[in-house]
Amino acid sequence: MAGILVRARFPRRRLVQIVIANLFRYLFRGAARNWARNISSTAPALGSMALLLVLLGLVGLTGIALYNLDQVESGQASILHVYISDGADPAGVAALRERLSSDPRIASIGYTSKAEALQRAQSIPGLPELAGASDSNPFPASFDVQVKKIDDVAAIDAMVRNDIAVDAMYPTSYDRGAYQRIQTVLFGLGVAGFAFLSLLGFVAVTVTINSIRAAIIARRDEVMIMQLVGAPRWMVRGPFVVEGAITGALAGGLAGLVTFGLAAAGIEAAAGSFNQFAPGITITVAAIVSLVVFGVGLGLGSGSSLISIRRHLES
Amino acid sequence: MRPIVEFTRVTREYGSRIALDDVCLTLEPGELTFLVGPSGAGKTTLLKLINREIRPTSGEVWVDGIPAHRLKTHRVSDLRRRVGVVFQDFKLLPRLTTIENVALALQVGDLRISDGEAMDRALDALEAVGLGDRGKAFPHQLSGGQQQRVAVARAVVAQPPLLIADEPTGNLDLDTAWEMMDLFRDIAAWGTSVLIATHNVEIVTRLQRRVVTLVQGRLVRDQPAGAIGRMAWLASS
Repeated sequence: MAGILVRARFPRRRLVQIVIANLFRYLFRGAARNWARNISSTAPALGSMALLLVLLGLVGLTGIALYNLDQVESGQASILHVYISDGADPAGVAALRERLSSDPRIASIGYTSKAEALQRAQSIPGLPELAGASDSNPFPASFDVQVKKIDDVAAIDAMVRNDIAVDAMYPTSYDRGAYQRIQTVLFGLGVAGFAFLSLLGFVAVTVTINSIRAAIIARRDEVMIMQLVGAPRWMVRGPFVVEGAITGALAGGLAGLVTFGLAAAGIEAAAGSFNQFAPGITITVAAIVSLVVFGVGLGLGSGSSLISIRRHLES
Repeated sequence: MRPIVEFTRVTREYGSRIALDDVCLTLEPGELTFLVGPSGAGKTTLLKLINREIRPTSGEVWVDGIPAHRLKTHRVSDLRRRVGVVFQDFKLLPRLTTIENVALALQVGDLRISDGEAMDRALDALEAVGLGDRGKAFPHQLSGGQQQRVAVARAVVAQPPLLIADEPTGNLDLDTAWEMMDLFRDIAAWGTSVLIATHNVEIVTRLQRRVVTLVQGRLVRDQPAGAIGRMAWLASS
């Protein structure tokens, strides 16, 4: 009896489902099971990495605050107050303003009258007493000159300090060393922070490498059997990388939460003054830093596992 | 027909010690061969060269057309999926059940095999070795002979063209050892080449199969099936 030949499409979708299910089982489910089974040997690595990542988060937040402080300081340092002599001729003052306005290095010029200077001084701690000690207003009027490049502030100062309309005793607010000192301090802090972070990174990687090494040693027989029955390299190594990633992700998640919590508590507790000693640190910034900490944890965990596997897992 | 295993002037040294010395050997498909020799003769080294656990110092090792002597590390798994291996100490994964141990060998080689298909084929292999009813048992719940049968089922479940066994009866009593040999004979009859390294003189002499004898790393005798006799004492040394 003749049969009927049925031409059916190869069940590609089913095949893909099977391959994905097998991949998931060998890479992720197996890794998660092993990770849970080896929790006692993984716990020290998890704790150390979480602690290091918290420090990383706090150093990161400090770095952002210092960067913002640097921006604020450089902005303030590029404003030159040119103090006008009390007895200056209005024509001389106008001429001085004209000279400044025509200079291409200057972005803008503001004017603060003596009355405005006094009012401003009264809001600064310590200065109201000084203002009250004198019968007359001791604060001079000034041109507030915004210089385009901070490097040009010295040249503008040199240009105006001998002008006839400028106060001979205190010609400008220019302090030759102030900005450089701030820069030096910030640079030093940056270098120290970088060195500290590098050290933390090194310690975190070393701790994780040792943890994965312990896992490899504990499962050496299993690894050998997998290799002998023909398991490809990715199938033998993959679960260890995933285990490292799980450790890193958990440590990163924990550290991210702690970092966020500390930052949020700081912002909440000192709502008024927090922005002065940690400029730019908001809830959004804290959340972003926490996410970065999580990502770094994930990367550190899987990266360290890869290094450990390369060193300790024979092929 | 292409030999399933071909050694051409293979030497393997460990430092200054020569484990295999200028060995030439071929195994044909479907052949059951015993590898005998005293301890330290190089039997395990020869098996490891076939399974590409080590490389030869010189010479060529071909396994089912694959040049094991120059195989890159990332291609080793391709070769091992063509070679079933049985060890003296079974090497089963203790956390997996019997049937999972057997199915593992299938699925690591081919991710396209579904759980259901892997379990069906693993059960067939277990039934073939007489353990169809012990699929859910863990290795520690089985006797040594049963564990070795599971190891054989795992080695053949993917139907490799070659099975190598390193002292497979070393941990078994004589009756169980004979059962294992019956199993190996059946496997060879199905068309799989079987190479067994053993010390068991009685089995070697009574089965009257091909016997390759190694002494101090040199292949000193290659007796065809049915001609076993005088040199069998070497296996017991």
